[in-house]
Amino acid sequence: MSDATITVTGPSEPAFIIEPGPHVHSSETTSKIMWSVNAALAPAALWGVVVFGFPALAVLLGSIAGALGSEWVTNRLLKSRTSLRDGSAFCTGLLMAMTLPPLLPAWAAFLGGIFAIVFAKAIFGGLGYNLFNPALVGRAFLMASFPLAMTSGWSAAAPWLSNVDAMTTATPLGALRERGIEAAMSVMGGPGSPTVNLLIGFRPGSIGEVSVLLLLAGGAFLLTKRIITPTIPLAVVAGVVLTTAASGHLGLHLLSGGLWLGALFMATDYVTSPSTRNGQIAFGLLIGALTGVIRLYGGYPEGICYAILIANTMVPALNLWFRPRRPVFAGSPS
Amino acid sequence: MTFERIELKTFGRGGVHPSTHKRDTALLPVEAISPLPPEVWLPLVQHLGEPATPLVKKGDRVVRGQKIADGGATGAPLHATISGKVKPIDKRPHPTLVSVDSIIIARDGEEEQEFPEDPDWRTLSREEMLERIREAGIVGLGGAAFPTYRKLTLPPGARVDTFILNGAECEPYLTSDLRLMLEEPLAIVEGALAMARLIGVKRVLVGIEADKMPAVESLRAAAKEVPLGEQTFDVAPCEVRYPQGAERQLVTALTGRVIPPRSLPSAVGVLVQNVATAQAVHLAIRHRRPLLDRIMTVSGPGVLQPKNLRVPIGTLLQALVDACGGMRPDTTRLIAGGPMMGRALPRLDLPVIKGMNGLLLLTGKGPMEDGFGPCIQCGRCLESCPLGLEPDQVSIRVEAGKVLDTDPYGPIDCYECGCCTYVCPSGRPLLQFMQVAKSALRRAIEVKVKV
Repeated sequence: MSDATITVTGPSEPAFIIEPGPHVHSSETTSKIMWSVNAALAPAALWGVVVFGFPALAVLLGSIAGALGSEWVTNRLLKSRTSLRDGSAFCTGLLMAMTLPPLLPAWAAFLGGIFAIVFAKAIFGGLGYNLFNPALVGRAFLMASFPLAMTSGWSAAAPWLSNVDAMTTATPLGALRERGIEAAMSVMGGPGSPTVNLLIGFRPGSIGEVSVLLLLAGGAFLLTKRIITPTIPLAVVAGVVLTTAASGHLGLHLLSGGLWLGALFMATDYVTSPSTRNGQIAFGLLIGALTGVIRLYGGYPEGICYAILIANTMVPALNLWFRPRRPVFAGSPS
Repeated sequence: MTFERIELKTFGRGGVHPSTHKRDTALLPVEAISPLPPEVWLPLVQHLGEPATPLVKKGDRVVRGQKIADGGATGAPLHATISGKVKPIDKRPHPTLVSVDSIIIARDGEEEQEFPEDPDWRTLSREEMLERIREAGIVGLGGAAFPTYRKLTLPPGARVDTFILNGAECEPYLTSDLRLMLEEPLAIVEGALAMARLIGVKRVLVGIEADKMPAVESLRAAAKEVPLGEQTFDVAPCEVRYPQGAERQLVTALTGRVIPPRSLPSAVGVLVQNVATAQAVHLAIRHRRPLLDRIMTVSGPGVLQPKNLRVPIGTLLQALVDACGGMRPDTTRLIAGGPMMGRALPRLDLPVIKGMNGLLLLTGKGPMEDGFGPCIQCGRCLESCPLGLEPDQVSIRVEAGKVLDTDPYGPIDCYECGCCTYVCPSGRPLLQFMQVAKSALRRAIEVKVKV
């Protein structure tokens, strides 16, 4: 027994992987998060195709193609570690298309997708480094480049229901601004009361903004998966309520614009929103208030796109002002 | 039927909820390793403090329990954990250091020194208790392995009014503390009360995560059987939330007090000891029995038969794996300790050291193997950090080569629980970025530990 049976004593090749801890990981990954967002958006986007027909589908495909193509090229040029599979470029293309009028030419949407990725994402350094929401930068680029198509490319909702030919019309908020509340109510399509039509999405508008119910369902999905928290959306809505309640058309402001698409899916973009809760409250309130102010006093019937872009500029400052709170020294022996 | 609402204690901010995997071993009683190891390696460096000085030489016959190395002024002594012949003192691989001079004992018998009960053990003076704890070579068995007699020697001026017994065992997979609380609750309670007496403290609080309610009941029942005198002994179930068992978090959970950065629990009047340490202390005080064995949970998907094993310190890890039926061929990673704060080991020809509380065999790729992506500023690391530090900001600055700009984001205060890396969806090694920043800042600024 005195002779040991174990003879290995000198250094030998590692038999196991040496890695830093922790040695387990939550199952959450960036690409899972991005594809979950895409899945949450899909029903509302497809509803846009249902009510506005093939032109809407062409816009969706054009925008996504532009975003994916330019992401592929810029990733190569930047020698980026990220890939198309992470779903972030798809998300940019999809989100931007959902903010566009259905009658916009598909090639314009394609250009917008390219602009969003190249000038709002890649030149800042790619995923994680952009200051502005790329989808909204793409939309702002299209507003500047194709103002007519961007403000008049609305088609009546579900012409197959009302037995009229697809025709251009105004959005409810556009009609409200130009001709008052009765005009706003008259542009709605669909079979139900105006409120029901607004909730379901029988009304002219951007491709992905019209169905409030499907957007809320997508938002609920992201909330239950804890991908987003309610903080920013609630603050945005609170900001809109505070600024538009006195106008007398609060219901229309809440249900007929791009509010839910923006509040649930754009203001909550991780990269372009503050990281702490208090910063997020300030950010959301700012977006909501700017949205209301632009709608009531600004030059556009819609406001959330620019509201978010303006608030994006505040994010570095908000992150600096609202840092995580460290537990404060407390208590001592009695 | 009515349900009693149990108020669970917990800490303030942060934390994560990894799968606990405790069912794999929670019901398995501790069994002594069999067969006994043919050889043990006892590194002269087991923990902080000066290396031990050998008291034996090649060819000596030693008996299990015999002191074989002296701990000096800051270390702890070492004891023979099996009976046999001392082989030449030689460098051997070490789990945390590359290679360390080790006393090697080749087993040739199974006898053990006798440690009869001291009839006067309840009435020992503080100095006598402290001396027995020191002579027993006891170190913190929760993982830090700081010599216990030093932790019990409070810094001058410290006012401590609460002794906390840490039975949280918040690391996934590990159930060795749970088993000890179920199987030897009396020794744990006695050991805790003795340590509290030693530092002149009346209030003893125990924190145990609520997935171990039988352990809560076990310690409560044991406390009724011992003479408490003026002392109080309260067991509090805590929320199952990692890192509940970290000193800072447990102190806050049980007392509401928050330890200032870079300070010890004594700054808020608390001393924390682990349950396994308490049991060892009890045996040292009552029987003068030294620390000879460790209870180790051997678990993980790579182990054929997960077990809770009592193993002589110095046993080679290979023997533990053999005692558990061997490992699956797809085992890729070997972890000493739990999966959150444990350390990856390269191979199985390494000895069990005093501070090791588990051995995990994991399969599949490690979290870092596919590389990592850029920070998407999701804020999950900020939410998960129990200290409110900012790993995202630290990581971005370290990546940009601006290591010394990271100070405002708190890396110096990081105690490396790993929650940030655990939650990062981009798979960023945030803890490592924190470590890089911490050591660079420590070199740049002289950071003194306040007490």
